[in-house]
Amino acid sequence: MPEEKIVCQNLGHVYPRGKIVALENVNLTICSQEIIGVIGQNGSGKTTLVKHFNGLLKPTSGKVIVEGNDTAKKKVQELAAHVGYVFQNPNHQLFAKTVEHELEFGPTNLGLSREEVEERREKAIEFFGLQDLRLSHPYRISFPLRKLVSMAAVYTMRPAVFILDEPTTGQDNITTRTVYRLIERLREEGSTVICVAHDMILLAEVVDRMIVMRNSHLIADASPREVFSDTELMHSTHITPPQITSIGLRWPGFGEKKVLLSVDEAVTAINSSNPPANS
Amino acid sequence: MQGVAIPITMVAGDSYIHRLNPLPKLFIALGVLILSFATRNPLVLGVVFALGLVFVTAAGIWKSYLRVVGILFPISLTLVVMQSIAPAFPRPWTPITDFGPFTIYQEGIYSGVSMLLRIFSMTTFALVMIMTTHPSDLFTSLQKIGMPYVLNFILTMTLQLIPILQNEFAIVLSAQKSRGMKGSGFGAVLPSMVPVFVGAIERVQQLSISLESRAFGSTGIKTSFRNVTMSLKDYVIMVLGVLATLATTVWVIADKSLDWSRTLIFPPTLSIIIVALAAIGFVAFFILAISYVLRA
Repeated sequence: MPEEKIVCQNLGHVYPRGKIVALENVNLTICSQEIIGVIGQNGSGKTTLVKHFNGLLKPTSGKVIVEGNDTAKKKVQELAAHVGYVFQNPNHQLFAKTVEHELEFGPTNLGLSREEVEERREKAIEFFGLQDLRLSHPYRISFPLRKLVSMAAVYTMRPAVFILDEPTTGQDNITTRTVYRLIERLREEGSTVICVAHDMILLAEVVDRMIVMRNSHLIADASPREVFSDTELMHSTHITPPQITSIGLRWPGFGEKKVLLSVDEAVTAINSSNPPANS
Repeated sequence: MQGVAIPITMVAGDSYIHRLNPLPKLFIALGVLILSFATRNPLVLGVVFALGLVFVTAAGIWKSYLRVVGILFPISLTLVVMQSIAPAFPRPWTPITDFGPFTIYQEGIYSGVSMLLRIFSMTTFALVMIMTTHPSDLFTSLQKIGMPYVLNFILTMTLQLIPILQNEFAIVLSAQKSRGMKGSGFGAVLPSMVPVFVGAIERVQQLSISLESRAFGSTGIKTSFRNVTMSLKDYVIMVLGVLATLATTVWVIADKSLDWSRTLIFPPTLSIIIVALAAIGFVAFFILAISYVLRA
């Protein structure tokens, strides 16, 4: 039975400067163990939406309830134990002299005992595979690893919900795959993961629910398969589905429309629909 | 997150002052600066300040102006308090009254009040200049009158970096609050400042590479994308402005009767009220500022 983690009721946000409407009437329920992708063009309201989940922004209308707490009445610091937010640029987050200190910062802020802090630090080092970097300076390690450290630093706070802002931007294939695996493992541990992303492969292969934003409105909330196959929706938000999906939709050999999300799926589909002549 | 930044940048607008060439504005602001330091007479400084406010109105920048003053004024109030009990004035000092363990001096309160007015007369003009001038126009104008290119670049780049750094600071603060950072005390200094400074250094490094790759140090005559013209009106305003500030400066230096330090008598009760209000104003601001950071 999935538990409700974040509930948005008629959420709206108007930025005070210039009275810019950034969100209008968003209704949304996010449950435990979901992996959610938030997509949309720049300026569509994605970031404004997820900043409401940990109280960085307060609703100007409607409500956001995080694990039973109304965010309007809570400080960001109080919500930090419920929702972890990993910023897009790790440099905005990291400041300590060593990776170890960096990982201890969050749980120490939560007021945990020394033993508890150390235990969480060790768990995070193991989970993110940072054993060799323990005593490195966060600014001296490579960008993709620095990004992992910033995720680990939020992991130590054990939030029920992780918000990852562009978790795979600027990374090579290997670290991108590592991030995919880590997101899956976070779910296995019972967490909810929300990714704000433009990385179509992440969205197609890892995410199981997509929230599509356009012009301050939530215009779709469905599985990647449904969202990517809706050509009209894709066109209206200026998002290109993964190439393999586009090929699948246009391939005449399948008889009926097939929505493919990965190369593996494509291979299986091709083999079953049109067996090679020589077999 | 918003409202933390103090916007000392251009406020878009199309007022008469916005349309004026940057040079007359710059020279008048400089003239007022010199004038403000040439006198301690509160009446002269007060008139200059009031004139500055007329320009603030004409430029339609009251909102942004007040946001800067809202921070500057309470901090400047410390000057009144400090000067009153320890004047920056040649001795002998004339004691007026006792204020707790301190003594308030006639010269001190005079100098405190005039320093406050001095700060406001010159910053008002400077803010009007900065808030109504596009940085690039200022750059082009300064280059036209022969300001060395590198020096000019440093000046305008600094003006443009301020809002960027303020924005960066706001992002870092929200990142650290998301990690449960308490927004107060010494513990908040490192987490919020280190990323901003490291980011600033990295930015400057990248900037220098990008400048080099775009032939920053090349010699020869540089042209400019933005064209700033000086109309006859601009010349007239510049000459009149410079003459007016110059003449006033000469007058305030020459006319010894404007030294009111011994003749403008502050009665004891008034002095106590001024000093107490200044102290309360500053402390209230300090508490408000701290609680604002804590609440955020």
